[in-house]
Amino acid sequence: MERTQSHYDRIASLFFLIVGAFFALYSCTIEIGEWHEPGPGFLPFWGGITLVLMSIGLLASNWSRKGPARPSFFPETDSWKRVLTTFMALLAYNLISDSLGFTLTAFLFVGFLVKCIFPQSWARTLIVAAGAAILARLLFVDFLQTQLPKGFLGL
Amino acid sequence: MDLLNHVLLGAQVCFTPMNLFFCFVGVLMGTLVGVLPGLGPTAAIAMLLPNTFHVPPVTAIIMLAGIYYGAMYGGSTTSILVNIPGEAASVITCLDGYQMAKKGRGGAALGIAAFSSFIAGTVSVIGLMLVAPPLAKFALAFGPPEYFSLMLMGIVILIYLASGSILKALMMAVFGLLIGTIGMDSISATQRLTFGVLELSDGVGLIPAIMGLFGVAEVIANVEQEIKRELITTKVKNLLPTLRDWRESFWPMIRGSFLGFFIGLLPGPAPVISSFSSYAIEKKLSKHPEKFGTGMIAGVAGPEAANNAASGGAFIPLFTLGIPSNSVVAILLGALMIHGIQPGPMLIANHPDLFWGTIMSMYLGNAMLLVLNLPLIGIWVQVLKVPYPILFPLILLFCMVGVFSLNYSHVEVTLMIVFGIFGYVARKFQFEMAPLVLALVIGPMMESKLRLSLVISQGSPWIFIEKPISAIFIFISLALLISPLISRVGKRREKLKEIVQGDEL
Repeated sequence: MERTQSHYDRIASLFFLIVGAFFALYSCTIEIGEWHEPGPGFLPFWGGITLVLMSIGLLASNWSRKGPARPSFFPETDSWKRVLTTFMALLAYNLISDSLGFTLTAFLFVGFLVKCIFPQSWARTLIVAAGAAILARLLFVDFLQTQLPKGFLGL
Repeated sequence: MDLLNHVLLGAQVCFTPMNLFFCFVGVLMGTLVGVLPGLGPTAAIAMLLPNTFHVPPVTAIIMLAGIYYGAMYGGSTTSILVNIPGEAASVITCLDGYQMAKKGRGGAALGIAAFSSFIAGTVSVIGLMLVAPPLAKFALAFGPPEYFSLMLMGIVILIYLASGSILKALMMAVFGLLIGTIGMDSISATQRLTFGVLELSDGVGLIPAIMGLFGVAEVIANVEQEIKRELITTKVKNLLPTLRDWRESFWPMIRGSFLGFFIGLLPGPAPVISSFSSYAIEKKLSKHPEKFGTGMIAGVAGPEAANNAASGGAFIPLFTLGIPSNSVVAILLGALMIHGIQPGPMLIANHPDLFWGTIMSMYLGNAMLLVLNLPLIGIWVQVLKVPYPILFPLILLFCMVGVFSLNYSHVEVTLMIVFGIFGYVARKFQFEMAPLVLALVIGPMMESKLRLSLVISQGSPWIFIEKPISAIFIFISLALLISPLISRVGKRREKLKEIVQGDEL
């Protein structure tokens, strides 16, 4: 199905409509205050209302218009797999770094991305992953004295 | 005499072994970042910011500023040799620089880019020295309404300069303001939208947001398909421009330097706008405009000078008003605040060592870049040969470590990933990031100034009009917001006129 800019704008306006409404409603639970004495909810409330109005404006201006055609969201058929895999790798790094420690996690993270996103040979993958993990450790932990997770191996 | 004393103070601060070292590291990292496509100065400064926490503020700012103008230098290398701009400000350099390289004159193009950048950097530093102190004195008269209006004008100018829809840029700015309200309210200490997450009490961190929006989102967009680079493989030689090259480049360089400096004062992506404007001016002034795009050295000298001068000019609103003019300067503002320095008109008076030390370091940094860039071009070419499939995991690893080391918080890393997803999708939907980042940075300041102004005026929003300076800022903001509507109405009237005339005929 061919996507147009208006199609994207309609989706975006709905997202911002929900965000704006959420901020406006949430700020009602804290004190909005008066114009002469604005409270902590003052800006979130009026900002939320403004975002809702703008979203309605964007939605209305794109309601019946088709707008220019846009290329598909992912340029290649397997682009989505690479994008999703990279995001999953980022999340996994964040989850396991405490238990495995920085050096081992960095090795696995770099190795996984080098091997899976644009597949490289095993030899190249291992050299890059090991090199990156060792250099990152030397730079961040030993030289810059950054406190990074040590994990069960103490690395 | 006063100026000389200040310059001497700056030199005293700058010429210490530690500051010289950090200045060198900054410009070197900046050049590297500028050379590497897909990693801009914004993400690089954000990544390296946590590593400056254990050095004095002036040293930190010297290094971070070095990254900024170093990236402007480095960006030209990829434009000339690979036809891929290292950062947005170098896009226009591709047109003539790459053509020069194809004709075997890559060395001259790189050489003139380096010299233009040096001359422009020098002009902007002198401008900064002369303009910033009187402007800061003038800004001392500002109260909360003036500050609020000025910040509003900053955001509106950025929105006005947005390349896409103004409404969408406005929405991003409001979204940024709303995200900026998350955390503990600075006046009443009420928790807002923190949902019991301790890390959110201080608000949504600027660094995780910027690293996500610029670093992660950029990398993710690049992994969609493999980037193929066409690198000029012939040896780059004759880096020193000939006398003829100098003759053809001298005035474009000078014009670019002044143009860039003045555009740099305005909020917005000044290096990008100034390089494009300089190219347009040089093409217009040239006796052979038809030859632009085929390897004219003036098409490299002017824009390269302009983008470097603009990055220097952008420091003026930061040092005098405490207002960032673009996302890179916004991080520098954040860096100052993290180091306990309140940017604003009092900065020069309260921290003269920081202001004059940074200025002197910029002058020295420009000289370092000139010395660095010419002999190291061979190394930068080798760096460019590192394939992206190997490079991007390393960039992501740096982002993860950079954000984690801020507060040793996994919540902030998660926030970076969330902003990365948002930034990636928002770009696809043609939403711009700059208004969001600027609003996120100055949002908390704007909120406190707005609330203080309303308290002072007992609830009357007219205070923003009653104060003359504030009224000027509000008037400019409104004029900028209304002008596209007027031109749209004008175009519609023209269209209607044509239809009516057509009917009459």
